[in-house]
Amino acid sequence: MSATGHPVSTELDFVCVGLNHETSPIEVRDALVMNEEEVERTLRQLRERAAAAEALVLSTCNRTEIYARGVTHPDPAGLIASLLEEIKGVHLSGRGARLYTFHEPDSMRHLFRVASGLNSQVLGEPQILGQVKDAMDLAGRHGGSGPVTARLLEAALHCAKRTRSETGIGRGPVSAPFAAVNVAAKVLGHVADKRALLIGAGEMSGLAAKHLMDAGLVTFAIANRSRERGEALGKCLSARVVSLEAIPVVLPGADIVVSATSAPGVLVTEDMVRTAMKLRKNRPLLIFDLAVPRDVDPAAARLPNVFLHDLDALGAIVAQSLEQRRAEVPRAEAIVEEEVSRFLRWYRSLELKPTITAFRGHFERIAREELERHKGRFRPEDQPALEAFTHGIIQKLLHHPTTRLSRAGENGTDALSRIDAVRDLFDLGEEKDADRNPR
Amino acid sequence: MTPRIDSVLPLLTTLLPVLYALSAAAYARIYVREESTGARLGPVILRIAVLVHVAYLVSRGFLEGHFPLASVYDFLSATGLSMALVYLYVEAKEGTPNTGVFVVPIIFLIQVVSTAYGLIPPGPKVPIRPFWFELHTMSAVMSYSAFSVSAVYGILFLALYREIKSNRFSLFYRRMPSLETLAQMNIRAAGGGLVLLTCAIGLGLGWLHSTGQGTFGDPKIWLTVGVWCIFAFALLAYHRLGWRGPLAIYASLVGFTTLLLSRVLVDLFLHSFHEFR
Repeated sequence: MSATGHPVSTELDFVCVGLNHETSPIEVRDALVMNEEEVERTLRQLRERAAAAEALVLSTCNRTEIYARGVTHPDPAGLIASLLEEIKGVHLSGRGARLYTFHEPDSMRHLFRVASGLNSQVLGEPQILGQVKDAMDLAGRHGGSGPVTARLLEAALHCAKRTRSETGIGRGPVSAPFAAVNVAAKVLGHVADKRALLIGAGEMSGLAAKHLMDAGLVTFAIANRSRERGEALGKCLSARVVSLEAIPVVLPGADIVVSATSAPGVLVTEDMVRTAMKLRKNRPLLIFDLAVPRDVDPAAARLPNVFLHDLDALGAIVAQSLEQRRAEVPRAEAIVEEEVSRFLRWYRSLELKPTITAFRGHFERIAREELERHKGRFRPEDQPALEAFTHGIIQKLLHHPTTRLSRAGENGTDALSRIDAVRDLFDLGEEKDADRNPR
Repeated sequence: MTPRIDSVLPLLTTLLPVLYALSAAAYARIYVREESTGARLGPVILRIAVLVHVAYLVSRGFLEGHFPLASVYDFLSATGLSMALVYLYVEAKEGTPNTGVFVVPIIFLIQVVSTAYGLIPPGPKVPIRPFWFELHTMSAVMSYSAFSVSAVYGILFLALYREIKSNRFSLFYRRMPSLETLAQMNIRAAGGGLVLLTCAIGLGLGWLHSTGQGTFGDPKIWLTVGVWCIFAFALLAYHRLGWRGPLAIYASLVGFTTLLLSRVLVDLFLHSFHEFR
């Protein structure tokens, strides 16, 4: 039974089984993240044990999902759960993990929503798009992909691009370090040619550095209490590392300062900033104080061309972005529905029976039109003979292709390619309301 | 030819404010709604309005035998057109249509007033003037427009600066380009205005010298030279002295305020041979 309540033949179904941040705790999700070798094993097992014609594994820190077409196993969810347990050596029962199962068209809709960031922990986050592409590459490399999954992924990626470009689902920063980079860009324009000073070398500084690097910034300096920890981050950023005492020395050279230490008192005083501003001829200076308690004297914000923002200010930007993204969900969902319908029209056009009917109908229509066109050149009493003659030629011409096409249903993946090719060659179009028929 | 132009002119006169109004509405839509769909509508309508405006001025030029810049109505119309041209140039340079909502409505208002004036029957015919005199007036009008656009960007810069400094991140914050971009727009427009004003002053002095009409002691000339000096200093401070932020913007805004005050001063209190009637 599909999530929509319609009976589904497992032989034909495109099924999705998986878990994500909504259904399972982080320990389970972490334990199920698959590497390439494990993906390859999963795809092979699905072919061998469930006769899956096509399959795909999407495994990220927030989800592990398996999509498969043509699974003959009566309980795909059970099979996939046991596969996951075998391959990852994890017992799912009793760990708070809940697997979900979607049958088509919900499985397809789910993939479209995932690719569009509508099912992400951080609504509209863009990384998932790259992860879906990676899953597509892996499936291609290890024999998982076929005409349906290839087309499905292509459609899902198209849908994701549409939701991003036509709605604000991915707009605005959704973390404090990202918001900091956003504000820096709003003040300085491009940040690529600017210099950053990171005070502290912890997780927050690392995250800010990552976002700054994503924005093109390459020149970093790090001021940290522990030289070793500073060097560790400095190595990744090719940054100069100094002690906290050297802040007044490096401050004038920085355009963007990110401070995130656990120091109990102020590390950057108003005087330090005033002196730095004189030395930098009053060029704008962005200071992001991500520490609690704060590292930077709030009085520095009064100086002209100094933009000082703390966690509260950046938090307000993040909250605003999330609010705006949530408001865009209905529009994004509408695009997903459009794209799912478009994909289903194509998918259903691959039905064998309607294709054969359309194929024969195409030739018979041409024959009828030609007979009508040349009607005047023959005597009325010759018309029945002429029609029989034309019909006979069509029957003979179409006998072999029709037989081959009818047998295509026995050849699984090849069959779909063949049907698709026939529809394309003869421009048979897409059957909008075709009934589901055995392929 | 002439009767045809005669019949087209009223249509163009009415069409212009309508097109500017549509363009202003489209720019307002771009500002309010964030999606890229329809983002080209404002710039496209504004370009059409500019083309119609040029056609209108050319038609009038043909009809009257000289560049149509002989009355306050003409002056306003030419200012509107040149503001639109300066704005389109700056927009193309900076690649963002989000500031159009602050410029195009001003152009619309100018054109509405100009069109309203245009309904009044024209005065006596202006004598034919040499081409370079026309250039003088055209470059003067365009420089004022460029300074106006520069002032708009200066004000937007200051508003955004205050918003960011005070940790307010409203719709205005989201829609505006960066402070650096606004400063660039302000400086570019002021720079263009200064070049045009230099041409206007040079051509005007040349005309004065060659014809002997008017006097070098005219207050408008000296006030204009004063405005030129302020803008020249503002640009020098930005490019050579490294002035950044509100200080650089204030310098250009002082120039624009002086320009406005000088016009009011000349028109209301001083006698000048530079007068539009």
